[in-house]
Order: sequence, then C-alpha cells, then structure tokens
Amino acid sequence: MQILKIVITGSYAAGKSQFIRSISDIEPVSTDYSTTLDSERALKKETTVALDFGTIAINDKLTLYLFGTPGQERFDYMWEHLAIGCIGYIVLVDSCRPAYFTETRHLLDRFSEITDAPFIVAANKQDDPAALPALYVRRRLVIANDVPVVPCIGTQRESVKLALIALLKHIAASAVEHTEDKAESA
Amino acid sequence: MALEGSLQDMSLVDLFQVFRMGPKSGMLILQHEDKRGVIYVHEGRLLDAFVVQGVARTVIATRDEAVLSLLAWHEACFVFRHDLSVVGRPTRIEHDAEWLVLESMRRSTRTPVASTYQNLTIETRLQLSPLPNSAESSVSLDVDQWRILSHAANNEDLQTICAATNIDKERTFRIVNELLAIGLVEIAPLASVVLRVRQLHHQRCLWQPLPSRLQ
Repeated sequence: MQILKIVITGSYAAGKSQFIRSISDIEPVSTDYSTTLDSERALKKETTVALDFGTIAINDKLTLYLFGTPGQERFDYMWEHLAIGCIGYIVLVDSCRPAYFTETRHLLDRFSEITDAPFIVAANKQDDPAALPALYVRRRLVIANDVPVVPCIGTQRESVKLALIALLKHIAASAVEHTEDKAESA
Repeated sequence: MALEGSLQDMSLVDLFQVFRMGPKSGMLILQHEDKRGVIYVHEGRLLDAFVVQGVARTVIATRDEAVLSLLAWHEACFVFRHDLSVVGRPTRIEHDAEWLVLESMRRSTRTPVASTYQNLTIETRLQLSPLPNSAESSVSLDVDQWRILSHAANNEDLQTICAATNIDKERTFRIVNELLAIGLVEIAPLASVVLRVRQLHHQRCLWQPLPSRLQ
C-alpha cells in the first residue's frame, strides 16, 4: 500500500476542517477546542489546535492522507511537522473575508520556506454569490501564473475532489518539469 | 452570507473591479463613525448611491457625488450582500465606476487608494490585466497613460518604462497607480514558483541534502 501525504492549510476559518470532512473516507480525526479570543469566536466556536486528519482510498494500492493544519499563527510550529514528507499542499482561502489575505500571504511565504512541494490555492466559499472570484484572489495574493488557483466549495464533496485532482495534476506536471531540468543540467 | 471587511483589507476601487468581474448584483454598505454609504450594483454597474450621517440619517451626498465622497474614505467597514432585487431600482449614477475612480484621483492630492497594499518599486514588473473591462467604459486616457500602458503590455519593469518614456519616476508611479486602480494593468508576480523551487533546491544543495519527499 502506498501512502501519499497531502497538507491542507490556510488562515483562520478558511474551511480546512470542513474540506477534509467533506471528502474523508473515515470520520476525520480532529483536535478542535473552543475558541478563546472574542474576534475568533465571532467567526466560529471551535478551532483546530494541532491537526485534522482524513484519508481517501484511491484504489487498493494507493491512499491519500490529508493533514489539516491549525489556522492561527500561534500554532505555526505544527506546520513544519505536518509538512514533512508531504507531496503537495492546498492553501485554502476564505473568498468572503479579505481581512485574512495578509495572513494567507505570510502563510504562503512560510510554507515556501518549510517545503518545496508543489501547491495550489483553493478560493473557498464560492457558494456565496458575493464571494471574491478566484482571479481576484490570485491577484491579491500575488500567485505566480503557473500555480493553479481553483474555485472551491469546501462543503461539497465534488468540489473538494476537483481541488484535490487539480493538486495531483500540478504535482505530476511539476515532477515532469523537475525531471526535464535534471536531464538538461546533465 | 456576505463579503465583509474593511477598506484597509480591500479598497473601494478593488470592490468595483470585483463587481465587474462577477458580474455581481447587490447592495454595498459602508460604515465609518456616524456616516453610512450605500451603493446599489446591478451586474457590475453602479446604479445608485447615497451617504447619510448621524442618527437622523441626514443625506449628505447622492448619486455620482456620493460615490466620489465614498472613494475618498480610507477607513470604513463594508458588507456586500448579493441581492437581485436591485434590478428594479432606477439608474441614477451617470458615470461608470472607472470614470468615477479617475475623477476621484483627480480631486485627491493623496496617493491613489489602489496602492495601499500594492507596493510599487522601480523593479515592479507590470502586465496587462486579464479583467474583462466593460465595453461601455467612458474612461479616456491621456498620452502618458497610453504610453505607460503600451509598455506594460511588454511586461517591462518600471525602471525600463521610465527610461523608455522619459517620464520621471514619481509621475510614472502615480500613473501606474491610476492604471492599477481602474483595472487596466496589474503587478506581475515576482517569480514563478518553478523558479522559486529551483532557487530553493539550489540553496539546499549548497547547505544540506534535500529531505526525502515521502515518509
């Protein structure tokens, strides 16, 4: 059995736990505790403090392990542990809360220091007609053109599946590019 | 559910661009101290607006002037709610959003609002914005704006643009901010992720072996 590890990250209340819950074959393992700060409680009652964990069996030989990171920066020491061995990661963005864009940009920079694994950005909560379009999210977060930014509805299994497929395709494309680079330099 | 934030998170100029990209319909409410502004939007087009003040909700601006006064706000909380019922409202705003943004910049001596989270440097590289601009846009550009826009199409940095156009740095920055604000250009990402990965790989090769990708 081959296991591939994928990390789901994003700022506070971006929808990481729900994203994993929507697609996981098992009841996700969560480490949610009551929120302590008033500003955080205004958005949700519980928050992930260590990790979320879910699995998806692709076939008999391949299983994806999904690890969700805690959203608050005070738990960012967990990011490094969770990123070890991951083949790629998804950065979830709340498309209805531009207040978290700066935090997401910091998170993108931090993750690029932690790991060189390929990533995509998922503009979440697109079921709200007022949500910011993925194109705007790309521009505001200054995402390079070769990194996919996909619209996403984290509460819908099909939409989560599409985001994961986009990540796997991007990982495959990056691997091909990496091989070509190595061949060129040789 | 709604799009919520403050003008520090997202400028009114950006909100107008997002309305056009959608295109979105609904009601935008801005609140700053005892003032409240409301803009009605239908399919990205500004229909009507007003600004009221105080408990008595005294109307202090309406229509185009209301939008212009709201564009001068630098602090406010906003909520945009999708609402298709705005279609029934009469169009009372004469000019389109791009014209109003440019007019607001002409009236202001401050740096254009689009630059609050877009730091321009001489190395900043521009690209044409892929945003769909409305065909009926009434924006007219002056000669220098056109000159800089034509260089942005070549993905040139501001240093190259200053040299090629002979427009001084300060004026170039101001014009670029105006073009950013009306959504004609955008800042090109500094480097592609592939380049970043190569750099990281190179750095790690110099200092330490690459960790295994899989556990």
